[in-house]
Amino acid sequence: MRVHIDVNGERLAADDVWEGESLLYVLRERLGLPGAKNACEQGECGSCTVYLDGLPVCACLVAAGQAEGREVVTVEGLASGDDLDQGLDEVQRAFVEAGAVQCGFCTPGLIVQAHSLIESTPQVPEDADIREALAGNLCRCTGYEKIIDAVRLAATRKAQNKAAQKKAPR
Amino acid sequence: MTTVAMPNVGSALDRVDALEKVTGRARYAYENFPADLAYAVPVQATIAKGEISAVDVDAVLQLPGVIAAIWHANAPRLAPRNGDPELAVLQSSRVAYRGQYVAVVVAETLESASEAARVLRVRYDADEHDVELRPGHPGLYRPDHVNPYFPTDTEQGDPDAALAAARVVVDATYSTPAEHNNPMEPHATVAVWDAEGLTVYDSTQGASNIRDTLAPLFGLPPGSVRVISPHVGGGFGAKARAHPHVALAALAAKQVGRPVKLAVTRQQMFAVTGYRTPTIQRVRLGADADGRLTAIVHEAIEQSSTVSEFAEQTAVPTRMMYAAPNRRTTHRLVRLDVPTPSWMRAPGEAPGMYALESAMDELAIACRIDPIELRIRNEPDVDPESGRPFSSRNLVACLREGARRFGWAGRDPEPGIRREGGLLVGTGVAASVFPVYRMPSQATARAEPDGGFTVRIAAADIGTGARTVLTQIAADALDAPMDRVRVEIGDSALPPAWVAGGSAGTASWGTAVVRACEALMDVLHGRAGDVPPEGLEASADTTQEVRAQRRFAQHAFGAQFAEVAVDMDTGEARVRRLLGVFAAGRILNPKTARSQLIGGMTMGLSMALLEESVMDQEFGDYLNHDFAQYHIAASADVRDIDAVWIEEDDPGLNPMGSKGIGEIGIVGTAAAIANAVHHATGVRVRDLPIRLDKLVHGVI
Amino acid sequence: MDFLRPLTWDEALAYKAGRPEATPIQGGTDVMVEINLDKGRPAALLDLNPISELTGWSAEGRTVRVGAGVTYSRLIGELGSLLPGLAQAARTVGSPQIRNRGTVAGNLGAASPAGDSHPPLLASGAVVEAESARGRRMIPIGEFYTGVKRNALAPDELIRAVHVPAATGPQYFSKIGTRNAMVIAVCSFAIALHPGERRIGTGIGSAAPTPRRAVAAEEFLAGELDWDGRSALDPGVARRFGELVAEAASPIDDVRGRADYRLHSLSVMARRALGWAWKDYAGRGSA
Repeated sequence: MRVHIDVNGERLAADDVWEGESLLYVLRERLGLPGAKNACEQGECGSCTVYLDGLPVCACLVAAGQAEGREVVTVEGLASGDDLDQGLDEVQRAFVEAGAVQCGFCTPGLIVQAHSLIESTPQVPEDADIREALAGNLCRCTGYEKIIDAVRLAATRKAQNKAAQKKAPR
Repeated sequence: MTTVAMPNVGSALDRVDALEKVTGRARYAYENFPADLAYAVPVQATIAKGEISAVDVDAVLQLPGVIAAIWHANAPRLAPRNGDPELAVLQSSRVAYRGQYVAVVVAETLESASEAARVLRVRYDADEHDVELRPGHPGLYRPDHVNPYFPTDTEQGDPDAALAAARVVVDATYSTPAEHNNPMEPHATVAVWDAEGLTVYDSTQGASNIRDTLAPLFGLPPGSVRVISPHVGGGFGAKARAHPHVALAALAAKQVGRPVKLAVTRQQMFAVTGYRTPTIQRVRLGADADGRLTAIVHEAIEQSSTVSEFAEQTAVPTRMMYAAPNRRTTHRLVRLDVPTPSWMRAPGEAPGMYALESAMDELAIACRIDPIELRIRNEPDVDPESGRPFSSRNLVACLREGARRFGWAGRDPEPGIRREGGLLVGTGVAASVFPVYRMPSQATARAEPDGGFTVRIAAADIGTGARTVLTQIAADALDAPMDRVRVEIGDSALPPAWVAGGSAGTASWGTAVVRACEALMDVLHGRAGDVPPEGLEASADTTQEVRAQRRFAQHAFGAQFAEVAVDMDTGEARVRRLLGVFAAGRILNPKTARSQLIGGMTMGLSMALLEESVMDQEFGDYLNHDFAQYHIAASADVRDIDAVWIEEDDPGLNPMGSKGIGEIGIVGTAAAIANAVHHATGVRVRDLPIRLDKLVHGVI
Repeated sequence: MDFLRPLTWDEALAYKAGRPEATPIQGGTDVMVEINLDKGRPAALLDLNPISELTGWSAEGRTVRVGAGVTYSRLIGELGSLLPGLAQAARTVGSPQIRNRGTVAGNLGAASPAGDSHPPLLASGAVVEAESARGRRMIPIGEFYTGVKRNALAPDELIRAVHVPAATGPQYFSKIGTRNAMVIAVCSFAIALHPGERRIGTGIGSAAPTPRRAVAAEEFLAGELDWDGRSALDPGVARRFGELVAEAASPIDDVRGRADYRLHSLSVMARRALGWAWKDYAGRGSA
């Protein structure tokens, strides 16, 4: 079947999609977006986390047909550029600076999930809330400490940016 | 040897490949799409022992999109010769373990290949299997050596007499379960044949090693095989050697004459990509009333498959940890109808030190001595078995620094008395150790006409930070800023290098990089810095240097401290605090190093409380073969964890002055936690993991 | 495989009538796992996502009608005060990503004994609204679970909603797992106090072939509690309640836990959940 999905702001179509195929497979194998990773295929590891209509979900558990006409944002769609000083989302920048990346395989899913946490939390989240929000994103390398550091750093910067925008004269 | 002055080395620099990884641009093995691609899906044995009598290939060839169904009767012949017999895929009708590859289907789409693999009928003549490691198994034997080439048994003095005469004796048996490495990236291979030979995009810890394995298997000279692996999503030993899927992908691609993609699924990984052997370890310690050891005996039994022998060096760390005049270590193996075990992070040290360091805790209690003091009293002056001096040994400093940071002083050793509401709280300590290895490697360094440098070596960055640290090392050796140095790794076309294994990557590769850069600097000085338009290149091969290194006893050491709280009604044990203090030579990049150490400790926490691959005796496979049932620590399991280090200046190691840090973090963690659980509850758990029911049954 | 996309509920019923073998898919958190892990391929997937009426809930009298498409995340965010027991259980389901997709109706469809929704549904006396082209059926929750991963739905029926009585007293859910998050229950327990009727509701998960109530425990406790005086809980009563809950279970040994551990922890959870619930109830009385 043919499936149309709005991915990272662009209307894309995939042909010959098998009806049992996951959104993850369509993104990775058909649409040239391998950022979201395939590591368990059962929603246990979070490596495939993407936004579906604004909510983070495991792309491996969304049937491709269920994404028809819906909006998907992947890790590739979070940055407007790929310079450390410009264009990167604060979460991505914080992951680089805090040393939250090791093998990188859990990273894209974690970044989307952390992005969602920060966007949906007005204040800087408490560590316990960060751990809870990221509990479905397994990482085998880092022991999570620097990931938590990165999320805290990104949340702080985003809060500062928001505050600065409010203060700025119109 | 002297270490060289290095301004970049030692700095907490950002990972050079982090940008690619946070934007999703880093390409992993499965993310390669050569033209005219076909998909391969393996079929795994559903019996644990027997013969394949027939495979109904014709039925699946009728299915839409199916290109080939290959099994031993129609597979191309391989030439495994002296290689790993696990790689002789589809070469025999024999089934040696459940989950072994018995066929592979190739189709135009993954969906078609999966469906064909699912419905392919394989008929077997099954034999009775034996998949249970147990003490007294009639098949136990003494392997010729243990991994990699340690003597199987060692003995000094008269340990039996010393035990009989000892004032205090601890005699306890500890067991550890099978555990699976489970790197986040499942293994994957894309194989492409052309007129030049074979190219594979593979998720591997060592491109050179995979090339050298595949070439003879397919009757090719090494130069006709290229292995490309720029980014690897973790390995922990599971990707240090070629597992059967690599051969299977190459074989399938050869048979169908098209590029083939093969992904090992998370579930399949439990049978075909290696695991840590279960162990049963009897430890006996004899001591005088002051806790001074007179005898140490550590006897380990383990399993391997009937396909190939992998003998883990479980008791080897006991050979050098503590002083005692009478000592013995032994390893016995039984070949079962199980998948072949392999390396998993700190093979030997991780399970072996759980047993030894638990026994030391039991001895401390028996002697009424603080467990830190007990270890200090038994600190050897030289390597107790070989008599060689240690080039540096700072276990005592780690214990003392850890005690200070953790707040150990004044600890009441009495178990089971600290209550906080319904929780029992306790603390524990254990030592860590990991040997220092360095292996021959080659590298080239090139001065480019634009003033930049390119350093090439077939190293692997499996998440360790190798690409970053090698760039730091090269920049310092070239006296150039980091951003003028480009390090290329992860490709067997580069100068051959040792695998990312044995915590020896940085030492091995770093030495080659330093020597190549030094050679280039010599050439440049000779030309007064002039670089011709075609550039200048120099190379190094460290084979001689590594072989000539002085024979010190060389190890990294550490001390791990844990605080746990146990719910006495449910048996739920939670680790509140974990502190590791390590002495591992010079720390080359504090940012990447700290993450490596904490990551290892977290895997140790996971080993202590969660990880266990449960063998189904009836069917002969691992029951809990996915992430829903094989639990690894999640972010919510880790609360307060830290790793610090003691500055160590050891000129006898390598030009960087570094010891490996990839594995030591997991060593001792499980013992520290088990010791803390005992301190909290009075229940001594001698079989990992420390499951809820074991604690509840210990107290109700 | 076919992918069926009804846009209305009637269309969905018509599809299901014509293709009773079609597997309904909502959040995909069970269905897609089966497909991804190649455990079998349904003849057709019947996607219920586009049917917007399913994503709503409404309070109808003393009962909350939860549409089959209401996710755990929305249940937690919107129904925490009306259905506290179910919302607590929803908080322990998988990860945030799973809770953003998974639904109570999906949990019912899969009918796994370990499903987190079942104990609070049993404790509060929920009713499953099932429908086919032939008509609508209201199935009391106690009759819904018929075996391991089996339920009372006819092949042509779909779950349209779950009717859950709004809480009239304290409700608690308790679950034991090996990890701090992302765990399938080793076993779980839910309690609901129904003070108006002087009645107790219970639900046990992961400790029998199907989720089930502990009826004898409910009856015992209802008769022992000081409903009017709201005096402190007698420890002997709480202990006996725990024992009766454990007696209602028939667990097995498996990789997640031993049967005897499950029995022990069930009695612990029952005692604790009762303690929390009674503390709330007694506290409300004196306030």
